[in-house]
Amino acid sequence: MNLAKETMDWLDRRLGVRELMHQNLGGYLLPRNINIWYTMGAVLLAMFVLQFITGILLLIYYVPHTDKAFASVTMIMNEIPYGWLMRYLHVVGSNLIIVFLLAHMLSVLYMGSYKRPRELTWLSGFILFNLGLAFCLTGYLLPWSQLSFWATTVATDAAGAIPVVGDQIIAYLRGGPSVGEATLGRFFALHVMGLPMAFLLLVGFHLFCVRRIGISKPPFGDDYRPTDMPRSFHHDEHPNGVPFHPNYTIKDAAMVFFALALLVAITFFAPWLFIPPDALEPADPFFTPSDIKPEWYFLWAYQTLKIFPSELLGLASQGLAMGFLALLPFFDRGLERRPSNRPLFVTLYLLGILVFVGLSIWGHYS
Amino acid sequence: MKKIFLRSLLLLFFLTPVGAFPVVAGTDVCIDCHGGLAGQLGEIPTAEWKTSIHARHRISCHDCHGGDPTDYVKAMTAERGFLGVPEYSEVPSFCGRCHVGVEEDYWESLHGQVVDVGGPNCVTCHENHAVQEATIDLINEDSCTRCHSYDKPALIKAEISDTEAMLSRLEASIASLYRVGVDTGHLEDELFATRNSFRRLFHSVDIDKIRAETAAFDADLEETKATIDDLENTLGKRKLAGGALVLLLLLGGCIALLIRRTYQDQE
Repeated sequence: MNLAKETMDWLDRRLGVRELMHQNLGGYLLPRNINIWYTMGAVLLAMFVLQFITGILLLIYYVPHTDKAFASVTMIMNEIPYGWLMRYLHVVGSNLIIVFLLAHMLSVLYMGSYKRPRELTWLSGFILFNLGLAFCLTGYLLPWSQLSFWATTVATDAAGAIPVVGDQIIAYLRGGPSVGEATLGRFFALHVMGLPMAFLLLVGFHLFCVRRIGISKPPFGDDYRPTDMPRSFHHDEHPNGVPFHPNYTIKDAAMVFFALALLVAITFFAPWLFIPPDALEPADPFFTPSDIKPEWYFLWAYQTLKIFPSELLGLASQGLAMGFLALLPFFDRGLERRPSNRPLFVTLYLLGILVFVGLSIWGHYS
Repeated sequence: MKKIFLRSLLLLFFLTPVGAFPVVAGTDVCIDCHGGLAGQLGEIPTAEWKTSIHARHRISCHDCHGGDPTDYVKAMTAERGFLGVPEYSEVPSFCGRCHVGVEEDYWESLHGQVVDVGGPNCVTCHENHAVQEATIDLINEDSCTRCHSYDKPALIKAEISDTEAMLSRLEASIASLYRVGVDTGHLEDELFATRNSFRRLFHSVDIDKIRAETAAFDADLEETKATIDDLENTLGKRKLAGGALVLLLLLGGCIALLIRRTYQDQE
């Protein structure tokens, strides 16, 4: 008796799993010219799964208390078997996730895949990107290091620039007049419970949108033609396409392997890339380090705050930029997706990347 | 409820990309006032202190000179413990409030015995506000020949140079271990104690005493080195394992791509 076959038969009789699997794996056809950038979703899913696993393992020993947090992280790093590995995988993984999120979003932007009817897919993805940043911001405080304490102090301070409600927002974020036990408690709760739940729901919705609407065809090649926006719901099918499984899942697997190789390489050989010296000292509310810098993915925002004459203007410009990106598919309603036919968009796209990189480098050296 | 919802929206809109930047705590009134003064009472010591090992270890003006760094009006009053600038011969006691052991050996040394008649005190060799981390390079011909010939200092320097070099190497190793997240607290304490005792020894400027006691310090340092070697071996093994894992993952990726090619041929 083949146990696997028996189990499958049992499930199939009750839930029709074979049909379900065929519909979503072998029978799910993708465009023939689908490229490597489409694997970013699978890579991100794998990385997030790893974050959940390492996060849960870290939770076993981490103590969310200002007197014990730093010591508990030190213990994880030095006394718990493979604790250092779990922590470094978690820290390096969080940074690589931002890299892959950016790569995913930039490829979607370049190929115009955000355009209607995929507005909700883009919007949910954009919110997921922001949730990723929120994960990083809240996770930053948890080790209760000098970097954690002062970065969070300044990040929450920036909210004070908002007129009328600024001070209330600071108090709301910190749970008191300054960063302390209450702040650690609420950031911890957000990091390990609030954000993961929101994240899982939103990932579910994002994947639902991708599957329900269908994968967008890469806008390249001679046979590509823009399609009209359908008057009613239409699943974008690719009748002559390639099966999702195994033809494309094996490519997904290859990219997941390469991404994990990068993660492991940094974890074992250069974890300090993402851990500045101030992150190695316990928080001292009475001593402000002079060289605190935000993580690389916040450097552009940090520099923006500095170059504007007031913090409010800086915050507003960031809010406008992020708001514009979030709602881009609602503004950009043209059907053309081929980059070669969208010179203005491609110019702005490249300029946007240059501004992001330029501000980040400026922020790093300023 | 509506208020909370509005605040949450505002937060989402404005705060997500906000990073962090350095701020300077503004509680030290000494720097506020003296930093703006010219010369030896102001900009010179302030600028020098900022480059010093004291500044790096958060030893501020009031830690040496007393007073209250939080009160502009009473900062330099006796009631707040202001000590001001010590007399030349009082400098060893002034520094010795923290550097207790070195002070003892200094007073017993020839240097200490002639301080009342203009012999060298702490700042003669170490500077005052610009005091740097002490190294063997402080013993040099230019410095020592301000008062006497370089023969004896050269002998002392030769005697302690191996131990000093070992101390420097171990400090660098500990710093590297610390940088990758190893809890080096006990090693730092161990080395700190050995280094302090050793530097007490050569503040005696007694070549016979230094010769007799240096071997014991070398033995202590060998023990510390053995612990550091163990830790470095462990890190080396981790890197080997990590390298093997990276290769396996790359191999996995390449195999997956090869399998993908077979599907491509069918397509």
